[in-house]
Amino acid sequence: MTADDPVLRVRLEAATLAELRSFTDEVDADLGCRAIATRSASGYAIDVHLPESRLESARGSRAATPVSMTVVENATATGLERQAEVAEGNRYAARGEVPRGLGSKE
Amino acid sequence: MAYLNVDEITSALQNLAAAYPATTELITCPHPTHEGRQTQVLRIGTRPASEVDGVLLLGGVHAREWVPPDALVLLAADLLEAHGKSKGLRYGEQRFSATDVQEILARLNLFVFACVNPDGRRHSQAGDPLWRKNRRQNNGGGDCVGVDLNRNFDFLWDHLARFAADSGVRTTADPCDKFTYRGPAAASEPETRNVVWVLDTYPRIRWHVDVHSAVPVILHSWGSDRNQTLDPGQNFLASAFDPVRGRPNDNAYREYITEDDLDLVTGLAGRMGEAVRAVRGDDYPVEQAYGLYPTSGASDDYAYSRHFANPAQGKVYGFTIECGHSFQPTWAEAEDVIREVGAGLTALCAAVTRLSPEPGQVPSPAAVSGTSPTSRRAPGEAETLA
Repeated sequence: MTADDPVLRVRLEAATLAELRSFTDEVDADLGCRAIATRSASGYAIDVHLPESRLESARGSRAATPVSMTVVENATATGLERQAEVAEGNRYAARGEVPRGLGSKE
Repeated sequence: MAYLNVDEITSALQNLAAAYPATTELITCPHPTHEGRQTQVLRIGTRPASEVDGVLLLGGVHAREWVPPDALVLLAADLLEAHGKSKGLRYGEQRFSATDVQEILARLNLFVFACVNPDGRRHSQAGDPLWRKNRRQNNGGGDCVGVDLNRNFDFLWDHLARFAADSGVRTTADPCDKFTYRGPAAASEPETRNVVWVLDTYPRIRWHVDVHSAVPVILHSWGSDRNQTLDPGQNFLASAFDPVRGRPNDNAYREYITEDDLDLVTGLAGRMGEAVRAVRGDDYPVEQAYGLYPTSGASDDYAYSRHFANPAQGKVYGFTIECGHSFQPTWAEAEDVIREVGAGLTALCAAVTRLSPEPGQVPSPAAVSGTSPTSRRAPGEAETLA
């Protein structure tokens, strides 16, 4: 990751798993934890992460024809923005500060 | 609210243990991380670890997935508070009665390992937000840092020898790879060894859920190849199948799982999915962990493989939850994902309390057979051999 070449989250969709796999075989993308494609309206979909500099070459790859590519977000920019939502200091430094969950106790 | 930082996770677990001494035990793992951090596991339950079955919950294995550690800390807080007040728990429209909560803590031990990889989380939250691995300094030097912990467990770890060359198995022996470097040896990493140590030290653990993000999806065994239920000889221990393991859409090799186990894991995964959906309508479908490609060295497969590799070890059923839709949602969105994870995991615990032997009884394999799965098995899954 660099500021000049951010990583994009890109949604790939294709009619078949074989088409998706042909594409990801050719384009070395970050497929997340376990490379799980899920069913979508048009067949199967998977989100991958790809440096912006490689987006056009991925679109031009031999296996790209049956695969639709949609840029979902600039993941680098999102992540840097989210770092502002990480707590500073330590809210639980005092022994009596006990976390409370988000479920309703009833 | 805001995402927990690494120091807060440590303090939060310590404070929960101090606030609920009768129902918790703070366990310090033996292997410090590469940056010297000592990780801890919060055991929750009213019975000693030797008397009832255990559920191991992992979070933060992949550093950039910020929601799972928060979800596990807050689930622990929810269960302890509800138990202490004799209350039920509600996440959206998913309700658990006070009896459910009491039963979970009376008949199970939950081992909450909220942040397996604190070095990586620290780097992701304060440096490169998309950092995935731990922070091992690899021999390549320079930018060659880190091991993908979920490729480092001792399950078909040596992918170059154990999978077909054209399987596309999603790991690498390249220490400079940014994402999926498997490490210099199986279980080479202190974070991996800490998980193994928990499983070794607490042999009553029977359920293992590694919480990741994002897809969303709930995964069950196996991740190495398509499942089959007919030929016990086709399994990960059989090196004769190394040249063909992991290929898609072939019948030369598929990974063996018993019909009973497959029914059990798909049923329990389906129950988790139902509970998640009740929170706000989001769908976490159930899938086998073999997706577009096989994986090696993953924690869920390792947990389930242990009893195959060593029949003296108890069977541990492995799951992975890929929660939410992105690695780092806004905190407001993260709160809803945390509720979904809480609902799914509480539902799993409530379900397995009914499968567990009475406290103090020795577990029996038969205790987990014959369940009625609410199966959502995907088409083609667990096909019989041609």
